[in-house]
Amino acid sequence: MCDIIWCKKDVEGKPCDTVNYLDPYCFWNWKGTINCANCGTVYAIHMIQGHMYKGPDEQPAGTKPDTSPLYADKPLEGYINFPSGMEGRTRPFQCLPRHIYLGVPDMVKFSIRGRPLRGWRPQPKSAGIAGQFPFNWEMKKLSPEVWAEYQEKIAKGEVKDW
Amino acid sequence: MTKDLRECRIEDLPGPKSKQELDEMKMPYEEYCKAAFAPGHEMGKPESLKGIRWMSTTMYIFTPHSVANLAELGAEVIKVEMPRMGDPMKHTSPFNEAYLYPLHDTRPVTGTGYGFMNANPNEYYISMDYHLPEMKEAFYRLVKMSDGLTECYRPGTFDRWKQSYRYVQELNPRFIYVWGGGFGYGPKCFGGSYDILGQAHAGLASVTGMHESMGGHCTKHSNWCIDWYSGTQITFGILAAMHWRAKTGLGTMIEFSQVQAATRCLGHTVPMYGRFGIVRQRWGNWDTQLCVHGIILCGKSDFPDSINPQDKFDARYAMVSAFQDADFKALCGIIKKPDLYSSYKKHKERVGAEAQVDIYAQLEDWAKDKSRSEVVRILQNEGLLCEPVMNDREVYENEHYRQRGTVRWMEDPLFGDVLVQGTYSAGMLSKTPRRLYWIWRPVGADNVKIYHEMLGYPISKVQEWYDKAWI
Repeated sequence: MCDIIWCKKDVEGKPCDTVNYLDPYCFWNWKGTINCANCGTVYAIHMIQGHMYKGPDEQPAGTKPDTSPLYADKPLEGYINFPSGMEGRTRPFQCLPRHIYLGVPDMVKFSIRGRPLRGWRPQPKSAGIAGQFPFNWEMKKLSPEVWAEYQEKIAKGEVKDW
Repeated sequence: MTKDLRECRIEDLPGPKSKQELDEMKMPYEEYCKAAFAPGHEMGKPESLKGIRWMSTTMYIFTPHSVANLAELGAEVIKVEMPRMGDPMKHTSPFNEAYLYPLHDTRPVTGTGYGFMNANPNEYYISMDYHLPEMKEAFYRLVKMSDGLTECYRPGTFDRWKQSYRYVQELNPRFIYVWGGGFGYGPKCFGGSYDILGQAHAGLASVTGMHESMGGHCTKHSNWCIDWYSGTQITFGILAAMHWRAKTGLGTMIEFSQVQAATRCLGHTVPMYGRFGIVRQRWGNWDTQLCVHGIILCGKSDFPDSINPQDKFDARYAMVSAFQDADFKALCGIIKKPDLYSSYKKHKERVGAEAQVDIYAQLEDWAKDKSRSEVVRILQNEGLLCEPVMNDREVYENEHYRQRGTVRWMEDPLFGDVLVQGTYSAGMLSKTPRRLYWIWRPVGADNVKIYHEMLGYPISKVQEWYDKAWI
């Protein structure tokens, strides 16, 4: 967890006392609103690198939360908990970080000296059986667009030895 | 030799026998070395370990590197990986950024990270779940056709799977079997190891970095130097075992503990404790035996306008060596501190801890308004030993390394243009140089080559195993 929101909102004369856990998959570098899993109070938070930079600030009633905690519990009441995926309280566990952390690799087509690279994705299926891969990747035949770009680079003198 | 011993043929006399040989002898040494080693022309020369076949059931860096050394010297290495997963090291990359694809047909969005680099080049990549009874036959057939194997599992795992030295020497008495792991037999037998654990447990990290009184802490090397070092130590063991086998016809088992290996590079540390009871402390960028012989901080970066932080902020360190009395005197003259020389005229006086604190502080005080290259130039011009602490980019751009082929570009058959240093920085051999054919291959890329072409299993069988994820 990068942090928690311990909700102290007064509910029916009693503090809510619910710990809403802010998981790093979602909340690492995040700004928005989040509901308390028990009483539904909405808090605005701003987290930078896993630290609470601003908040949690209670929002007026009726504010729609951007997201919910992944998990919450009430440690002072024998650990009553709200597991993942409770409609309107917690959000389901997607097993994935937010899309910006999914690590879609850069498509680097050329090395720093301007010669063509390989090893980008998506890759075509292997040509052989049982996971066999063809030994040599013929750039001209199999990646014609990169080959064409390479020819342009040669013409412009952007391809160097070092 | 001539029949008549009174006759003397030119061929029998010492010295050059032809115009070419004469030219070669008259060649300056520098030119001779250039011609003898000829970086970039390795492929036309023979390979010293050609004919050796080695199995690599290894993971990460330490044990794979023991086999990588063989593969670069010409051995045929068969790397056996887990089906559809591969070596766990394939899934590591610096800061999780640099991956090359493909990894395997069944994992289109997973690549092989640059963390895998240099540890498994030139190898044939097959996959096999060898603890399955169904795959035992294929494993044993590989053993019968190979000279040796390196493995890195917990002690006794291969024994439980009936493929330890006790079993394989029955199949192939010439077999050389290497177990490489954390601790080896002993009270900590089942402890695993990583490079950092090796550095820590061997006592190496305790003497690396500056002393705590100077703001330092126990330090591990940024790279996994004990993995690379231990792997190379295993390779020496393998070559010795092969020499022994050539004499006796018998194989050997090598048991190699990484934490044990890392104690070797501690030099005088252990004997000194034995003699005096002194526990060695850290001394960081300075030296406990020589002074001046360390790395100093200069005031200005060589590249203040660079956007790269390593250039902009860190190009400020220089290594200086002037421990001989005359050199130290010259150094004190350059930094205009003649009193410093008068205080520490003899090396015995300089090398003491308090003296070093004083001397390096005064050196850094002199360098505080100078850039790294100014410091290097001034000291070198006075004939002192001084070199900048270079970063990767400077190594890449260094003409010395380029001429020797230490760093060079190669065209990988699958992955295209790659800048490499591993193979070529491991020493040059004039007749049988190391070489790099490919950096790595996808998981199971050579299944057909090994199972079908070498072991003779029908393609239908190979396909069946593949479909069942046994390979």
